[in-house]
Amino acid sequence: MTAGSTAKPKILILATLSGGYAGADSVGQLHVDYPSNVYVLPVVCPAMFPEDFYLRAFKRGIDAIIVMYSGTDCPYKGGAERTAEIINRVYPIMKEEGIDTRRLRLAAICTVCTRPYLKEVNNMHDLLEEIGLVSGELQAALNESPA
Amino acid sequence: MSEIEQNQTPPSEGQEEPRIAVYTCYCGGNISEVVDCEKVAEAVSKLPNVVISRTDMSMCSDAGQALIEQDIKEHGVNRVIVGACAPSLHETTFRGAVTRAGLNPYLYHHVGIREQDSWVHHNDPEGASEKAIRLLSAGIAKSRMLEPLESIKLDAEKHALIIGGGVAGLRAALDIARRGIKASLIEKTPFIGGRMAQLETTFPVDEPAREALGGLIDRVVEHPNITIYTQAELVGLHGYVGDFHATIRQDQRGVSEDIADAAMAACEIEVPDEFNYGLTTRKVIYRAYDGCYPSTPAVDWANCPDGRLELTLDGKPVVLENRPETIDLTVGAIVVATGFDLYEPREGEYGYGILPEVITLPQFIRLLALNGDAPLEWNGRRVKNIAAIHCVGSREVDGIHEPHEDGSLNEYCSRICCSALLHTLNVVKDRYPDINVYDAYEDIRTYGRGHEDLYIKASHQAVRFLRFHNEERPTVNRENGDQPLLTLNDYLTWGEEIEVPVDLVVLAVGVKPRAIDDIISMLKISKGSDSFLAEVHPKLRPVETAVPGIVLAGTAQGPMNIQESSAAASAAAAKVSVLLGTGEVELEPFVAVVNHDLCDGTGACVEVCCYEDAIALETVTVNGAEVQRAVVTPANCVGCGVCVSACPNLAIDVQGWTLAQYEAMIDAIVGELPTLEAAR
Repeated sequence: MTAGSTAKPKILILATLSGGYAGADSVGQLHVDYPSNVYVLPVVCPAMFPEDFYLRAFKRGIDAIIVMYSGTDCPYKGGAERTAEIINRVYPIMKEEGIDTRRLRLAAICTVCTRPYLKEVNNMHDLLEEIGLVSGELQAALNESPA
Repeated sequence: MSEIEQNQTPPSEGQEEPRIAVYTCYCGGNISEVVDCEKVAEAVSKLPNVVISRTDMSMCSDAGQALIEQDIKEHGVNRVIVGACAPSLHETTFRGAVTRAGLNPYLYHHVGIREQDSWVHHNDPEGASEKAIRLLSAGIAKSRMLEPLESIKLDAEKHALIIGGGVAGLRAALDIARRGIKASLIEKTPFIGGRMAQLETTFPVDEPAREALGGLIDRVVEHPNITIYTQAELVGLHGYVGDFHATIRQDQRGVSEDIADAAMAACEIEVPDEFNYGLTTRKVIYRAYDGCYPSTPAVDWANCPDGRLELTLDGKPVVLENRPETIDLTVGAIVVATGFDLYEPREGEYGYGILPEVITLPQFIRLLALNGDAPLEWNGRRVKNIAAIHCVGSREVDGIHEPHEDGSLNEYCSRICCSALLHTLNVVKDRYPDINVYDAYEDIRTYGRGHEDLYIKASHQAVRFLRFHNEERPTVNRENGDQPLLTLNDYLTWGEEIEVPVDLVVLAVGVKPRAIDDIISMLKISKGSDSFLAEVHPKLRPVETAVPGIVLAGTAQGPMNIQESSAAASAAAAKVSVLLGTGEVELEPFVAVVNHDLCDGTGACVEVCCYEDAIALETVTVNGAEVQRAVVTPANCVGCGVCVSACPNLAIDVQGWTLAQYEAMIDAIVGELPTLEAAR
């Protein structure tokens, strides 16, 4: 653990208990390595998060968010549709704030979707290698905004 | 193993100061071989409110659990966190430990650092250790905000409704009834038994199907706790687990036993007999088969003009009319055992619907049953050569198969057809050794115990196997001559083109989800991407839906054979029995709660909620004024949180999963590492 480690990009995964969270556990059972800057938080259904929640997370220093929901297999009525609606509303707000919209992904991940899980995580990791920390974008937007 | 204890400031007046104990588990080396558990424990010990931070070789052991109990009792710990394996494995174990020590179980929080850390970062131990610290820090941040919660306790009607009278519904009803719980079984058709009654023998043991089914039906019929309603459908439902109010519509049987035979003889309207998949006809007053239950014939009202039937009995005109009855049932739980439909091949698919020699496997099974031991004839010709084709309507691939009308493809394996087909081909070879049988397959999936023997037996009986590739599917045409010709490239002979003239082509059709959108809508349950009913979790909660008190049994959930359907039904019955056995239902407290100080009655939450009576606007008195406020009915709330994001005032949260807790966890993940702070 070094002082520099706090500057590593951080990927937050909001993963449904009935889908992505169990999928992440399945990847663990396979003992397949992926980058350690990935933090998975379990959620019942990501439809609970309003648009501001995502913005706040980016502003606090989360560099990317992957919402791993259950897609059409969502056990909660209306949960998948509502999640997609909210995420779609977040994108234009991210643009306004100067945040690269690729930092937010909505992906349907099931309990045994190990390959799709790894693909999502690795793709996002590669993207962050390319575009860097979210703080850079936020600072640039701040600099460009009229005084 | 290490232990770190700190003194904390005393609780502030009127509010209990969190005193958090954190345990970082070695998991016998599974975690500690990658994660530096000692360093992690030391780091998190620096965080506010952490009064104990220990490591242990195995926290789930009796000794590990005893340690937690001891710390709660001796050190005034009031929040507990274990960083260990996946929460799905041991969260309930540790909730039990804290409960035994007198702490509210919902003041426990579990952090997974094995499957999502040590097992996936073998090559980055430093990163894995940092991740463990951050995940535990997030857990601590959430833990500070945890409040004691009480599970929701509701009186439960010791009565279950079972929808569907096939083998799964019957099995579930009997298992529930045997545990002292009333079971009401509703069956849409006039007779119970479902599709199993249409089979002659079952695989893999060649048991007479109707004999086994008859035994089950007898036990169901004789059980005093079971009431059967045939020609009955669910038409309305409200309420919640423990107290569902179901409205059932039941058609009249139409004829009484005393006039049944005379009425059947007098009836002149005939329709295709679905029991024989249209191979024969039946009258609209009918018994499904000899020995069916109930034995009294029933009138098929749907096929009677204007829903009435005019007969002449003993020279007198008689009019039979359907006067459906409404039955109201109060039940504590519901078992959905609505079964499956069979795939109907498209016109022209392997010649189906164009060539009369092409039939489906279920039709062939009925043909063999109707034919008995007589020489096998079809379409006026003695059958000497049979071709069978696997995977018809199953394992469909985009780009190869044409999508169905709704744009879907049946991408799943129907699971039962390979064994059912081979079992049937063995019956053919046993009964008619001289008939040549050709079996065309892409893959053979005889996956069950003893099912592989069906393949071996078929091989020994000289069933000729031909293997095609998915992108080069066989064709069935009548070109020259009068026999259909099966043509395919056989990859068991390195792609050689084979042409086989046959007298009968049997298509092993798959299963498909039944069209029960009306029931799905009433029950508020969900379908999966394959349109079969969805369970909460395919491995850990395989028969439960997201709606408490509603469980799944059998093929409504996906393709299953009889054995699997029975097992699923017994699992569903066990869930119902545990749920209703005490007459009281206990639910997890993770439901929406409304802060009436913030709610101003916009109704946005009510608008987005998909669950009936889960949240509603009610008139309440605030500061002497009558105002509208959102009120949650916990028993109807599934805790999905859709209402949380909809509220413009952030007045709603899901207990145990609040937005503020998530924000605190995120802050902890992005925060400075505790050890770094200590080192400065």
